[in-house]
Amino acid sequence: MPETIISTSSLTKYYGKVLGVKDLDLEVASGEVFGFLGPNGAGKTTTIRLLMGMLKPTTGGGTILGLDTWSQSVGVKRQVGYLPGDARLYRSLKGEEHIRYVAALNGTGEKTGLELASRLDLDISRRVAGYSRGMGQKLAIVLALMKSPPVIIMDEPTNGLDPLTQRELYEILNERRNAGATILFSSHNLPEVERICDRVGIIRKGELVATERMENLRAMRLRNVEIIFEGAIPGDVDLESLPGVSEVERMGNRAQLKLRGDINPLLRLVARHDVADFTVSHASLEDVFIEFYELPEEKKEEEEPAVKPPPQPPRLFRRGKS
Amino acid sequence: MNLTVLRKNLSDRWGGTLVYALGIMGYILMITAVYPTFKKTMAAKSQLLKNYPKGLLQFFGVRNIDAASFNNYMTIELVGFIWVIIMAAFVIAWTRAMISGEIRDGTMELLLAQPVERWKVLVSEGAGLLAGIAALTVVTAVGAIAFGSAFSAKVSYAGFAAYLPLGICLGLAIAGYSLLFSALLDDPRRAAMAATGLTLFFYVLHFVSQYSSVVAKIDWFGVFHWYNPLSVLDSGNVPVKSILILLAFAAVGFGAAIAVFQRKDIK
Repeated sequence: MPETIISTSSLTKYYGKVLGVKDLDLEVASGEVFGFLGPNGAGKTTTIRLLMGMLKPTTGGGTILGLDTWSQSVGVKRQVGYLPGDARLYRSLKGEEHIRYVAALNGTGEKTGLELASRLDLDISRRVAGYSRGMGQKLAIVLALMKSPPVIIMDEPTNGLDPLTQRELYEILNERRNAGATILFSSHNLPEVERICDRVGIIRKGELVATERMENLRAMRLRNVEIIFEGAIPGDVDLESLPGVSEVERMGNRAQLKLRGDINPLLRLVARHDVADFTVSHASLEDVFIEFYELPEEKKEEEEPAVKPPPQPPRLFRRGKS
Repeated sequence: MNLTVLRKNLSDRWGGTLVYALGIMGYILMITAVYPTFKKTMAAKSQLLKNYPKGLLQFFGVRNIDAASFNNYMTIELVGFIWVIIMAAFVIAWTRAMISGEIRDGTMELLLAQPVERWKVLVSEGAGLLAGIAALTVVTAVGAIAFGSAFSAKVSYAGFAAYLPLGICLGLAIAGYSLLFSALLDDPRRAAMAATGLTLFFYVLHFVSQYSSVVAKIDWFGVFHWYNPLSVLDSGNVPVKSILILLAFAAVGFGAAIAVFQRKDIK
């Protein structure tokens, strides 16, 4: 069983009376790339800052490599490369001066930092005051990765990056993962999560509502299906009765539907008839994500129950750790 | 102490410190250039000073108003008032940037993402501030001696040498509570305003204490009660008790600021 590198237990943070995160239980295993998903204000940055010892937990706590994230935060920071969300830099310093400064504080990493800057095509001879947002983000990424840490924590790393640099970053993260690094990053960019993560956690209103392996997420996700029959749709084709089928629309010899889960019952039903065409398109992770986020709220509003039911886990995800 | 943080701190601030130092030198040059004329017309000035409220003269420590001494003159024109304002502004600007300013700018998160203890950050930056305060105080003493001598004033070398630790400790005492406000308040402007307000309060308290025995007792708790530049310039003796008490002010302020910062959320 892989070693747990990042772990939180009932991690809770209130800002006065305002909830940051609540009862967050999270485990990230060695060598894993964990994506932390959620919209703005969901608690992603709060969680990451708690992990980095920037915030003191109200209750609960966390460990990274067995070190307490608050009381042993200096030890944690020796092992973690951290990219803050909306990273700010010293405006009066040049890029290369930042690299030297951070290398001096860590006792290592200047050579790697210079190499990374070159790889990200970053001009480090200029003062940060003259940097664009993307250049600042590149420098912040360099500073996070230059000590070649065994754990990397990044808060929305691709913010402000152009597509080419994003691709380069994914490559760098893949290399680091292959070298054994454990990576946790937050994002609301779903394609990037889909591209590089092994597992995702979804945070909503300060609570971790689900964690799931990417392959399970992909398997569970929605498909859009279009079937064109030879002639009219046969009368015994009761699409609505199949498990996971919804939103069936019939137009002449054409049927469109959404399918969640196993496709085989549909295939068996359709195979009994002559079919002119059968098209399956996968709904994007974004569709899954939007459904996951919006469905419970919409349902709640539509149903307006007299007695408020206890919160239900979403249909697509299992609650808790996978 | 983290030498990397200290070096960066000094590198960031030397330009601003130089501006303050040049400003002090320019001001000293201006007032010492006027001193010979002032001295010649001292008889009239003495008559004028006699009409001043007694408390005001006591506030500046002036006892012998007939003597147009360089020490009297420099106390009233420099170290008793203008220098205090300059030093307070310098210290408050520095301390406000040390915690609340860096948090607001987001650079504190960058710094604390590195393996360096929070208290070491403050101690290192505090060492930089001590260097800045010492530099301005030395510039003041050297400037007064150099320009005073140049304009044929009777300069007390021992007096200005003894003034050095007193000036530095006053700066540190103001820095102590200013840094505490910087740690307590998230908004650097509010931190600076609070520190300025308390400094003004202590100054006014000291002024009013010349007229009221009740306020004089409260004045013991203010930093300016322990800041008596004229007696130091006149005697040339280092005021050990005053220095120790001002250092205690500084230690309490720095200690409390470190305690607050150790637990502070970096948002």
